Amino acid sequence: MIDKTSKKPLKRRDFIRKSLHAVAGLTIGGLAGILFSKSSSEEMVWQLDPNICIQCEKCSVNCVLPHSAVKCVHSYSVCGYCDLCSGYLQPGTKVRDTGAESQLCPSGALKRTYVEDPYFEYTIDEKLCVGCGKCVKGCNSFGNGSLYLQTRHDRCLNCNQCSIARRCPSQAWNRVPASRSYILKGDEKKKFLKS
Amino acid sequence: MNEKVVNLVTASGATFIGLVFLTWWLLYNPVRDFVESVPGMDNRPPGFKSRSEAVDIGAYFASFDGIPSGIQGSWPRFRGADFDNISKEKIRLTSSWGDAGPDILWSIDLGEGHAAPVVSNGRVYILDYDEDERADVLRCFSFDDGTEIWRRGYELRVKRNHGMSRTVPAVTDKYVVTIGPKCHVMCVDAVSGDFRWGIDLEREYGAEVPLWYTGQCPLIDDSLAVIAVGGRSLIIAVDCETGEVVWEVPNPNDWKMSHSSIMPFFIQGKKMYVYCALGGIIGISAEKETAGEILFETNLWDRTVIAPSPIHIGDGRIFVTAGYGAGSMMLKLNFEDGSFSAESLQELKPGEGIASEQQTPVFYKGHLFSLLPKDAGPLRNQFVCYHPDDCSQILWSSGKTNRFGLGPYIVADDKFFILSDDGILTILKVSTREYVQLARAKVLDGVDAWGPLALVSGRLLARDSRRLVCIDLRAGF
Repeated sequence: MIDKTSKKPLKRRDFIRKSLHAVAGLTIGGLAGILFSKSSSEEMVWQLDPNICIQCEKCSVNCVLPHSAVKCVHSYSVCGYCDLCSGYLQPGTKVRDTGAESQLCPSGALKRTYVEDPYFEYTIDEKLCVGCGKCVKGCNSFGNGSLYLQTRHDRCLNCNQCSIARRCPSQAWNRVPASRSYILKGDEKKKFLKS
Repeated sequence: MNEKVVNLVTASGATFIGLVFLTWWLLYNPVRDFVESVPGMDNRPPGFKSRSEAVDIGAYFASFDGIPSGIQGSWPRFRGADFDNISKEKIRLTSSWGDAGPDILWSIDLGEGHAAPVVSNGRVYILDYDEDERADVLRCFSFDDGTEIWRRGYELRVKRNHGMSRTVPAVTDKYVVTIGPKCHVMCVDAVSGDFRWGIDLEREYGAEVPLWYTGQCPLIDDSLAVIAVGGRSLIIAVDCETGEVVWEVPNPNDWKMSHSSIMPFFIQGKKMYVYCALGGIIGISAEKETAGEILFETNLWDRTVIAPSPIHIGDGRIFVTAGYGAGSMMLKLNFEDGSFSAESLQELKPGEGIASEQQTPVFYKGHLFSLLPKDAGPLRNQFVCYHPDDCSQILWSSGKTNRFGLGPYIVADDKFFILSDDGILTILKVSTREYVQLARAKVLDGVDAWGPLALVSGRLLARDSRRLVCIDLRAGF
């Protein structure tokens, strides 16, 4: 008489087949998990911290783009709207006008407009800005520090290894969440963080 | 035959294409979109010059309940009685504070600015800007508790431009003289606040209001108010009793008013007033017989913005400095054949040695002490010590963890009291060998604490952009 309840011994072929099924299942499940976690985590982008930046001018020449993705930005709430702007004028210049010889910006990207006595408004022509940070250095030296550098994400390729970050002497570059992709100053910072 | 035709066509085609490219190259202007940067592109009105409205100086007055204090001692003008920012009072001052910090005796709210007080006969005077009334007001307080005694002023519209007020009055037993942000000079009775006289330097002398408003602090010397103008006259002396201009120095070089203040020096046995104008330095005789005569003038020190005042180091040497990329210079006044001439002994660019942007350095124990400006590289905003024989060789600095911004400092009881511009008061032991910090404490919560300090009977008056506090520095109290 045959005992039908007794188990058959597992054959080697079956063991290998079942093991492969298990490994395949785990692999597919693991990959799905990784992909899910990747899709649910936020994208990170490169940005430089203006509070650490020392305006060494490396941003203007080390970007992989022909024209650096780093541009000067302006915090209007921090600006003093001065006639004698140390970010706009050459140090020691005797005249405060828009002549090229009076300007600190090598490409004339920083513009100024008379508002009313004694205020002047300063704006940046991004097409001309090369991200050298000369104006930022001037503004930080004697002004309120309203001019500062940021990489513009409409230009930045977000390289896996940012070539500017590699050469930044002050380690001002970091990856930040794409939803908070700018490190701003003044009221602009408050508005940006609220949005 | 066919080969010749092919060659001809090829050569003609190549020549044609070459000519087309040559024409394009000749006609193409790669800078056609460039806009030349020339003066006048900022829409600054032609002939632009700030011109304030007519002002009825001294028209406003109000009295209050304050009673003058019986506390002895005075701090009668910018940098104190001896123009050196050194208190000579023999009062022992504290070297440390407990956990509670220093004792704040009283405080008052002020209009935004950097104007600083003077003290005389138990009264504290400060030229404040009343933002509600839109007026410059000389406010007189009791030194006991900060209760207001009276205020005298005039309506004046001043727009915020790194603060509004920024000067220190000069006071004697009889007079108080002020210079407002838009060059209005006012003299009042020191006790009653009665108006004596006023001068609008812009309207009456064609003075130009300096960038960020007037920073010059007036000087009263032997009942004469000596004021730098920088308009039709470079310097004027006004009789405090009558308001009459006693002498004035012409200004043929059209030098402008700076934020620097006139300093009296004794050099080669002659008393002189030395002033750093925008354009150069001038020395004026302060001797009674020759008062107002020019002793020397030089454009060796010609900078765009000058806030610190000149310092006499001795032996005819005058140290001058400024921020905004100016650096510093050690001048020497030579006296030959009865006349003075100036020469530069040492000129330093920013980062090469001692300099200052806003405060006037202190010359004490044969050494110069200063807060370096922001363009001093790694030493920016540090407190430093130099020997005047070589202002490029630093003796010590406060270190990168002890930066003070543009704040004021004062010497008393052989200690430095330094107020950083974020309101932290630091006590240092005076040393020409090393930085010795004794204590520090937060005494003001605001920003831009740039107004010069005043110290009388162990009580320190310090301010930030909106608040004045009286701090008890006496040891054992």
